Amino acid sequence: MPTRPLVTSYKDDSRLFADIWHKIAWTLALVVLVAWPFMASARWLTIGTQTLVAVVGAVSLMILTGFAGQISLGHAAFMAIGAYTVAVAGHVLHLPFWLGIPMGGFAAAIVGLAVGPFALRLRGLYLALVTLGLIPIVAHILLSFPELTGGVSGISVPMHTGFSAVEGASSLGDMTAAWHVAGLELSFQTKLYFLYLGIATAVCLAGVNISRSNTGRAMMAVRDSDLAAEALGVNPAKAKIMAFGISSFFAGVAGAMYAFEQQYITIEPPFDLHMSVHYISMIVIGGVGTIFGAVAGAITLVMLSPLVETLTAGLPILSDLTSAQRSTLVFSVAVCGFLIFEPLGLFGIYLRIKRYFLTWPFRY
Amino acid sequence: MVELMTPLLQLQDVDLSFKGVRALREVSLAVNPGELLAIIGPNGAGKTSLFNCISGLYSPQSGAIIFEGQNIVKAPAHSRATMGIARMFQNLALYEHLTVLDNMLVGCHHRYTSAWWADMLWTEGAQKQEREARALAEDIIDFLNLEGVRKTPVGVLPYGVLKRVELGRALCMEPKLLLLDEPAAGLNREETEDMARYILDIKEDRGITQILIEHDLHMVLDLADRVAVLEFGNAIAVGTPDKIRNDPAVRAAYLGNSEDTI
Repeated sequence: MPTRPLVTSYKDDSRLFADIWHKIAWTLALVVLVAWPFMASARWLTIGTQTLVAVVGAVSLMILTGFAGQISLGHAAFMAIGAYTVAVAGHVLHLPFWLGIPMGGFAAAIVGLAVGPFALRLRGLYLALVTLGLIPIVAHILLSFPELTGGVSGISVPMHTGFSAVEGASSLGDMTAAWHVAGLELSFQTKLYFLYLGIATAVCLAGVNISRSNTGRAMMAVRDSDLAAEALGVNPAKAKIMAFGISSFFAGVAGAMYAFEQQYITIEPPFDLHMSVHYISMIVIGGVGTIFGAVAGAITLVMLSPLVETLTAGLPILSDLTSAQRSTLVFSVAVCGFLIFEPLGLFGIYLRIKRYFLTWPFRY
Repeated sequence: MVELMTPLLQLQDVDLSFKGVRALREVSLAVNPGELLAIIGPNGAGKTSLFNCISGLYSPQSGAIIFEGQNIVKAPAHSRATMGIARMFQNLALYEHLTVLDNMLVGCHHRYTSAWWADMLWTEGAQKQEREARALAEDIIDFLNLEGVRKTPVGVLPYGVLKRVELGRALCMEPKLLLLDEPAAGLNREETEDMARYILDIKEDRGITQILIEHDLHMVLDLADRVAVLEFGNAIAVGTPDKIRNDPAVRAAYLGNSEDTI
């Protein structure tokens, strides 16, 4: 039996779900994703929501660093801009969340487009240093307007569904109230989960479409050799600035999602270098250069610490450490292990498994 | 006959120096439409520098580069590529993480008019352009007999195939002028013969004007319509292969003052 249908047109060849196996896998994934909020405990539902935020953040960094090859340590700054935009939009202006999230994206994209030109002359570590500088600059600006942003003490992030305030709703917005739909009670956490599932799916699709289209190939051409890209008619400046713009837009969206999930945000932590490095580790562990890698890395890193806490609780030496120490330990071992044994990340492991089944029963 | 046409590309007194080194000294050269012009010369004569000036990676200190009646000496490299100047690099400059097909499609870059947001949303228009580019890339893949490796990442392919992929990527740009920088360097006899056949097919079937840099003199003298000889940045002779073969200045540059023949 052929494992895949015969490809007879270029359209067939660019399908996302090429064969029956893809369709089965994605149907199973969809069932798990939809059932998750109803099956998981409150703690694991929160972890699921946080994973979806990380997926959006990792995909946006993948577009910039994985596709266009521009190393950025300023990812936390773009996310902070998105987060504070929705906080101010909700807290001060009483705007609904569905307006706030794209606003957060656009605010971050404006800053991203302003930083983009630096990448035209700097590369590698030098660009990393410039983008690193973005974190204290953004933090300083946010701290300079305490009447808007709450300064060091932070700001609450209300989630309104409409423009006018609803009678009797909590100060965190009327989205926090539970909904009753067809006999099911949808708590705030459940609603947030499904909203984020939608956003994360859309962002992943956008990322995949970039990678399989002309825009993404231009970015990858610039990543691998910008001299050759130029000789082929690709404008490197345009490709780099485009990568910065698209990436920072999605980073702003991720920041907005983060803010709504936390309901109360401060600047540092969480929007510091640690967060930027965390996102870089996600795309390295997942596998640089593919959306699959971004998603796999985000899921692994967010799920890792609660998993480690649960699994190592009974072990002799490890249980003497605090839970934070345990997850840091496993995290660093995992990053080093991937860099040494599987530089392609989880995507490389996926490729190996796929090849094993495609060539079965032969081993090569 | 060819001398009567308006040249496709004309170099006028192109002068290029790097600090103390004068790589090109007032080089003037005309390339006629449809011809295969070869550039030969000893190492360091300025052949690749000349290509870099034409494709825009170097900007000469003085002189004019006129392509289709337009002085392009100030145009950036990517816009020259869009005008129809394609090149093959001497040391391969392929994207080794991308597949053969994707490398070809990067060559099709200038054909695309879809905006980034249309690509991101994978609109019907973006898909249509993708299919058109794919059809062109497949035509080139067919021409260069690369069907078997179209989905293979370039990084794992052998050198002889890579040279063909690089030629294919340049052809995907549908150029008017194709710059070939040592297409046969490092190839064995059989692969060199294949490459020579492709170059002749490109000239005769596709009608693309080509400039060829090559050290294999037998290949050059067999293929080229005209040959230009560079030495220390000077164009010392231009003419038909027969004329070049017997030119005393060329013989002095290549052989010293001996009685041997090229």
